[in-house]
This record gives sequence, C-alpha cells and structure tokens, in this order.
Amino acid sequence: MPATESNFKRFVEVGRVVLLKAGPQAGKIAVIAEIIDHNRAIIDGPTTGVPRQSFPYRHLTLIPLRLTKLPRAAGTGAVKKQIEAEGIVEKWEKSSFAQKRAAVEKRRSLTDFQRFVVMVAKKQRTDRVNKAVRAAKKA
Amino acid sequence: MARSKDIVPGVGRLSRSQVFARRGLYKGLKKSEKPTSAEAASTKEVTVGGANNGGNRLVPTQKASRFYPAEDVHQPKKSRKTPKPASLRSSITPGTVLILLAGRFRGKRVVFLKQLESGLLLVTGPYKVNGVPLRRVNQAYVIATSTKLELGDFKVDEKLNDAYFAKPASKGKSSAEEEFFAEGKPKAKETFPESKAADQKAVDSAVVAAVKKTEYLSKYLRATFGLSKGSFPHQLAF
Amino acid sequence: MPLQEFQVVGRHLPTEADPTPKIYRMRIFAPNEVVAKSRFWYFLRQLKKVKKASGEIIGVNVINEKKPLKVKNFGIWLRYDSRSGTHNMYKEFRELSRTDAVKALYQDMAARHRARFRSIHILRVVEIEKTDDIRRPYIRQLLTPNLKFPLPHRVTKVRSTFVANRPTTF
Repeated sequence: MPATESNFKRFVEVGRVVLLKAGPQAGKIAVIAEIIDHNRAIIDGPTTGVPRQSFPYRHLTLIPLRLTKLPRAAGTGAVKKQIEAEGIVEKWEKSSFAQKRAAVEKRRSLTDFQRFVVMVAKKQRTDRVNKAVRAAKKA
Repeated sequence: MARSKDIVPGVGRLSRSQVFARRGLYKGLKKSEKPTSAEAASTKEVTVGGANNGGNRLVPTQKASRFYPAEDVHQPKKSRKTPKPASLRSSITPGTVLILLAGRFRGKRVVFLKQLESGLLLVTGPYKVNGVPLRRVNQAYVIATSTKLELGDFKVDEKLNDAYFAKPASKGKSSAEEEFFAEGKPKAKETFPESKAADQKAVDSAVVAAVKKTEYLSKYLRATFGLSKGSFPHQLAF
Repeated sequence: MPLQEFQVVGRHLPTEADPTPKIYRMRIFAPNEVVAKSRFWYFLRQLKKVKKASGEIIGVNVINEKKPLKVKNFGIWLRYDSRSGTHNMYKEFRELSRTDAVKALYQDMAARHRARFRSIHILRVVEIEKTDDIRRPYIRQLLTPNLKFPLPHRVTKVRSTFVANRPTTF
C-alpha cells in the first residue's frame, strides 16, 4: 500500500459493500468477495438475494460501508456470517443514502390519489410555516 | 364526344366525369320529355310453318346479344362484420375513479358506474362535487386509477341506457337566418329536463355518500389532473 | 461469440492393414459442435495422415467448467499467423473459466494484432495455481495482498442539458 493518504474515500477492495445499478437485482446491495480485474469483481449478497456472480464496476456504486474482516475469495457462507456479524444490512438501511433512495422509490410508487394527498399535506405545511413566520416577524 | 378529343383512337382526353362536367347537363333540366309511348312489347307472336312446330311461337322483339360482356362488373363484397362493443378494461370496476382525457371535461376525475350496451362507460362527477353530469365516455380516452369507491350494492337504474343519452330529434326547421333576425332577442334557453336532474340526484346521492367516507377524496375529485415538468404519464403509477 | 470447450474424439477408419487405428482426442474451443468437429479435422490433418474422408468422429462432448465462480489465472500458449509470418506467443488471463480466458484471448489478439479466429491456433490452456509462476506483470499486479483502488472519474448521466450543480466525479 502506498504510504501517502489518498483523497479517495471509497475503494474497490475485498469486503466493500456495493449497490447494484443494473440487472435483475438492481437496487440491492452486495459485497465484493474478490477482485477479478480492473473492470469486474465477484460480488455476493447472500442476505440480500444477490447470487454470487461476476459484475462490472460500471454497473456498481461503491458505498461507504465495508466488511473489515473478510478474507480474499471467501465463500458465500463466510460472507453471510460476516455480513450478519457486522450488521451491514441494518447499517445500510439506516444510512441517509438508503433512506433517500427508499423515499424516492416510495414517492414514485404513489398512486394518483396518494400524490394528491401529499400535495395537500405540503400546502398545509407551507401555510403553517408562513403563518408562524409572520407571527414571529410581528413580535 | 366533341369536347373530348381523342389522344389515341378510342381513348379520350377527358374522363367520363370531366365530360359530364363540361357538358353541363346537370345544370338545368332539359325539358324534352318524350311523349310517353306505350311500352313496346318484349315479345311477339309469330306463326311458324311446319307440321311439328305447333303453329305459333313467342319470339323476343329484340334479339339477345350473342356475346357475354367482356368486362366483369365488380360487385362490392358485402361485409358481414359488425362492430362489437369494447370489452371493459380489467382495471375499471364500478366505483373506479377515472381521469377523463378528452372532451369538454378533460382532466376531470370522475366515478365510473357501469358499462353501457354500446361499450361506452357511464360516469358521473358526481355533479355536486365537480360539475360533471351523468355522461357517457369512451374507454379509450380515460385513465383508470387504482382509487376505488365503495359503492356497496348500489345499482344504476336500468333506464340509464344509451337511448337515455341520445339527442332528441330536432323539432321543425330552425334556420340560422331566422334566428339572427329575431330582433335581438336572446335565444330561448332550453331548460334542463327536471326528470334528468332528478336522475342525477338519485345516482349522486349514493356516490357522494361513498366519497364522504374517505378524507380528501371529494377534494381530489374536484381537482383536475395535469402533468407538470418532469412527470411523464408512462412513468407514473395511477 | 460464446465459446464452448469440446472434447472431440476421432480416428482413421479401420482398414485391412490396420484394423485397430489409433484414437485421437482433442480439446477444442469453438462456438458450436459443427465448428468443433471441423477444427478437429483441420488440426488432425496437419498432425497425422488422417482426413475427414478417411476418418470418423467417435464422439463430441462439451467440457464444462468445474468451478465457474472461482477466479483463476490462465496461461495460454498460442500460435498465430500475422501478415508477415507465424509467431508463437504466451499470454496470461484472469478469468472465471477456461472458455472465458480463450474468448478474452481472441478479443485481445484481434485488438492488438488484428488476428482473426482463423489465423490463431490455441496450443495449450493451463490454470496457473502458484502465484510465483505468473510471468506477466499485468496479472501479477492484481494479486498483491490487500489490493485496493478507487474508481476515479465516475460520470453520471444527467437527463437535462443544464443542471444547477456541478457533477461530482470522484
């Protein structure tokens, strides 16, 4: 490893948690089990429904989470144990990144009526805020 | 034809319809009625000689042509197809909120009641809520939302059929000219038949009761649907 | 071109002089069985006095990868005809299967040497088990312990022509 600190914060490395951007498991997270080369890695997500497979970095997003103690080329069982021991999935779900994604997903899946109710709620909120601001200004 | 000079022997410069137009026969009636002669008999009796020939025979005055016509006259094929009423989309059930996409009430959200015989959908605003009366709409110009009203065992009156919505036959002639010179009098407005207003009320009472059960629903029906920047109908869930 | 590895077995037709001819077996990388058999005759003709007209194919089987989810390093010996002559070569690939390695080889040869399928003979494909046996630095660099590298300049697609914020590419 180079002695100098890198400006980068997320690296392709064994144990790195990644978010899949394409394919049938798009939107799920997995862990890099082994690096194949500069373009691909073997990823595995036994607890998130991602089967072990080779995946190009092009269709992955690196996430600021990683498994610290995962040995190189660990099998699915070992990966699963590590993921559960470190509580990676819970950490991910708690992260603002995941929550924002979930919120976007939820907004997208709203029906017409639900969208309308959201619109009404938003109007009510701005109304209250404006009233409060006006009251505060007077005082 | 003198007007239609031949391009080559047998083929005129003008078509039959052009010749017809130039001859101008359509302009005036040519009053040259022939004295109605008694129709000539199509057959006549002829005495035939010879012992075995029976003496008399009916012979046509005009001989039939010896040839069949060279060109066949086209007989247009009769279509046996009849338009079937459209089958109802599975997403539309009684009580479904629909978004109208065309016509006078486009953008309005209305409640579906039933499909009529003709395949058109019977919808109501309800009139009290958003001003859309009992109305027939084409299924193709409608977005079905997943919002549904609980109409329970409400049944639409049988008299609300296609004939109910048909335009009444216009009474007498009303020329535009007459209307224009009617000494500035505004046209007498036809009053909405009271029976229809009553029908509307009867249907709406049940629908409005269902609407009231859900919060914001009447507000929702009152609002019109529209797309804003960055929202595309194929990406929306309804 | 999805490649498969075939085992093709064939021999010369039995004659009076030689009622039990020698049986030959080859492992051939080909897109399908037909090409595999054709390549078998092509190679056998060059090596032995047997040709398709006087020989027979006894069997063709597909050889599947034993562990298709294990990353392996392959060394491939090959011979190819360039525009000016014939060359022998040794290349290394890091792939999941022998067929993947051969596919990568054909791509690589086409890219670097403009060599086509017809001008390449694959002599040997071997999995290198010991790290010390790896000769090429481009594969060796991937075997350093605790390997890690960033993905720089990740450009995200934006739908609109103008956006309020500069994209972050690191």
